[in-house]
Amino acid sequence: MTLAGSQHSASPELVECVRARPLLGTFVEIAAHGENADAVQMAISAAFAEVERVHQLMSYQLADSDISRINRDGFVSPVAVAPATWAVLAAAEKFSAASDGLFDITVAPTLTKLGFLPRHAGFPRISGQGNWQHVALLPDHQVQLKRRLRIDVSGIAKGYAVDRAIAVLQAAGMASGRVNAGGDLRVFGEHAQIVHVRHPAVPEQMLPIVELKQGAAATSAGYYTQRRYQGRMVTPLINPHTRSAAGVQRSVTVLANDCMTADALTKVVHADPERAVALLGQFEARAVMLVPDVATGGCRVFDTSRLNPASWQTRVIS
Amino acid sequence: MSNYDRWLMVPALIIPAVASAPAYAVQYMNVEQAQKVLFPAAEGFEARTIQLTAEQKSAIEASSGVRVRVAEIKAWRAIQGGKPSGWFLLDEVYGKHEFITYAVALGMDGAVKGVEILDYRETHGSEVNNAKWRAQFTGKKAGDTLKLDEDIKNISGATLSCKHLTDGVKRLLATYATVLK
Repeated sequence: MTLAGSQHSASPELVECVRARPLLGTFVEIAAHGENADAVQMAISAAFAEVERVHQLMSYQLADSDISRINRDGFVSPVAVAPATWAVLAAAEKFSAASDGLFDITVAPTLTKLGFLPRHAGFPRISGQGNWQHVALLPDHQVQLKRRLRIDVSGIAKGYAVDRAIAVLQAAGMASGRVNAGGDLRVFGEHAQIVHVRHPAVPEQMLPIVELKQGAAATSAGYYTQRRYQGRMVTPLINPHTRSAAGVQRSVTVLANDCMTADALTKVVHADPERAVALLGQFEARAVMLVPDVATGGCRVFDTSRLNPASWQTRVIS
Repeated sequence: MSNYDRWLMVPALIIPAVASAPAYAVQYMNVEQAQKVLFPAAEGFEARTIQLTAEQKSAIEASSGVRVRVAEIKAWRAIQGGKPSGWFLLDEVYGKHEFITYAVALGMDGAVKGVEILDYRETHGSEVNNAKWRAQFTGKKAGDTLKLDEDIKNISGATLSCKHLTDGVKRLLATYATVLK
């Protein structure tokens, strides 16, 4: 996902700073408006530190993250994790239950098989059985696996990191702010953003689809993450029910009040757009799905905004 | 598409071939700003540009597994309380099409204190300056249309750039161990 920013300063006395760092496997860009440059830079530094903390706790790649510790030892005995990790796992459980398992953090072995996640030497073998219902959240931030599973929260933790960074900017007294982690975006304050989404069949073309004044937008599509597996192109968007990867040519953007919700729901829409509709309403979210139209070279745009039209301001161009 | 009949279908959007993606380039900060952000307590920076010898180059390549493309290392020593407090290294790596300029801060122990992007450039899609593309938006107003002249943030799908940047940091760490330590 891409976005255009309103770069006019609404109040001339406010200073805007924008920075980018490589984190969460992508570039994370943080912008804020505040009273003076030093205060804004300090707020942005603190927000980056928060993103980095989430990265360290929840990365599948890092061998000593909470997630890797669960994957290594969680079947044998409960693993104590940070409250943040526990909160993300609890949210994942909520989305799994609400979507009847269309969101599922236990698809990690499929992602490893397709080459999207690394193989960790020394991790126990998995049984190939079980799903999200076998991740038990115990008191005192303990987590236990009831089956020999492997979990990956990257479908939700990036959104959580964006939400945390926004909270840090707000706590630091910023007048407005924006955090964009490669497709996961959240804004607050006066600066409306136009969210651009890439044409799924022609990703170098960007389509402005919606103006975001507050809240979050998460886009997920296969165009830049696809890879070849056994002769066909696959994406890291896995339908947990079939364990098969979604097709490359569909782009899903979900708008929600917070980025973690938007992030999680993109996976549900990819897995089953029809069943996602009711769920989107339940979470006060809206989805815009782009499906390339081979006949015209354009895109069919599916939008659930009719279901809760007051929530978001749209300007789909025709 | 009756499968999606509960979705609102709006008219297809077709962008002509001349109207490619808008160019994207952003300068996040200059060298001085990056130095200040990465070493907020430093009172000064001593430039120490280093020319790598052929032996040093191969040593860095061997230990990092990353090719050394440029022999000149742009380094600064951060000074705090009259004493060196770390290194500030300026470097470039390839993004998708163009170079990304970035800075790495190392503490006195050689550990990374921070990485900041200074310049991110993307030349593809300069066709946005094409008059026909721009004319599509003539007369549109904020609130019901696009604000085209505002810049486009495009840092997604940056997996490749991120990989190159990771390699760059790996190379700089090996450079530190070989010639700066």
